[in-house]
Amino acid sequence: MDNFPGKAIDILLVEDNPGDVRLAQEALKESKIKNQLFIVEDGVEAMAFLRRQGNYNNVPRPDLILLDLNLPRKSGREVLAEVKQDEDLKRIPVVVLTVSRAEEDILKCYNNYANCYITKPLDFNQFMEITKSIEEFWLTIVKLPPK
Amino acid sequence: MISEKKINPESMESTEKQNLEDTQRAVLNILDDFNTEKVRLEQTQRALLNILDDLNQSKEELMKAHDVLELRVKERTAELARSNAELEQFAYIASHDLQEPLRMVSSYVQLLTKRYKGKLDQDADDFIGFASEGALRMQRLINDLLAYSRVGTRGKSFEEVDLESVLAQALENLHLAIREKKAVITHDPLPKAYGDSGQLTQVFQNLIDNAIKFSSDKAPEVQISAKLEGNECVCSVKDNGIGIAPEFLNKLFLLFQRLHTRKEYPGTGLGLAICKRIVERHGGRIWVESQPGEGSSFYFRIPASQRSYYG
Repeated sequence: MDNFPGKAIDILLVEDNPGDVRLAQEALKESKIKNQLFIVEDGVEAMAFLRRQGNYNNVPRPDLILLDLNLPRKSGREVLAEVKQDEDLKRIPVVVLTVSRAEEDILKCYNNYANCYITKPLDFNQFMEITKSIEEFWLTIVKLPPK
Repeated sequence: MISEKKINPESMESTEKQNLEDTQRAVLNILDDFNTEKVRLEQTQRALLNILDDLNQSKEELMKAHDVLELRVKERTAELARSNAELEQFAYIASHDLQEPLRMVSSYVQLLTKRYKGKLDQDADDFIGFASEGALRMQRLINDLLAYSRVGTRGKSFEEVDLESVLAQALENLHLAIREKKAVITHDPLPKAYGDSGQLTQVFQNLIDNAIKFSSDKAPEVQISAKLEGNECVCSVKDNGIGIAPEFLNKLFLLFQRLHTRKEYPGTGLGLAICKRIVERHGGRIWVESQPGEGSSFYFRIPASQRSYYG
């Protein structure tokens, strides 16, 4: 079942709110799966990271992208569209993790081939549960494409 | 009379003359009358023409007033649409801009509790406790405010609703509270009604929740009934709880109206205001009958069918 026996999996978190970044870090700390979390704070940085441009020429290709929608400079919606139109990047699963419950956002994200859409819960314990579920599902249950 | 007079040529002539003069006078009188009548007719005609003029003027004024009124209605409608849009905007702000920082506060207070409760000192535990209680209350308040402001803007269109399944859903949503309070809920067979089933579920849920919450020392007993009155359905939720003092009965359905401290009975003071708004959206009315210590009965009236809603 494990996609990456022994090897840490790489997660790219695209999130501009430090409070949310830290929450994700705390949640992943408790995870049983060995992981390496990379954090970028806006859409432009996210695309640079994925294309290994500029300061990012040495970063790994992430196994999973956790994407917030409301970001400075380039929104998560634009990042999603660009990733899914890129022949090389489109196979990386993108989990949209946002506060928006707007039907319009949900529809747009799935139309742009988001792999799943999750609304951030208000409750911290629920947030932990959700982070664990994301990991368990995407990193152990799902068979991912080779890097 | 004439036949009784003696016939005599002389007098005949004078009689004839007299008659002629009489006739002439009569004709002159009639002519006079005609003239008077003519003057009167002319006066009447003038009066009628005046009235017609007045009428025309009134009609013009009426049309002007109508135009002004129509303009006012248009303006008022636009105003209403604007305030509706503002309300929706408020719902959006409440759901996103307020919830976002709240999520940070409550998440980190929970993290503090999880990691540091019992590891610092009593003061720290108290402070964390108050902070997390406050965050939780604010969360409930925002949720209830959202529910309130969405009654008009996010409601579904009306359809035939089976009140049995509406009640079943409300009880399902409340099953934890019912179990915890060991409440006994009974209900008569409920008819069908016409409305928004999600919102009607909310009405039953809030009323039953209150019935259980404001209980006396006895285990709560709640009886739900409904009867058809013409084309309308009157539902009732009766409890054996603490009841309500008469001076509070008409304040009960106001926004943020609370009659007890949070320590006695928790709540945001929005539950009944939400019920009222929903029932009014259905063109109905909600009211309460109660005596302190005697329990309370809440009633609400909603359409029984599409016909009664439009009729």
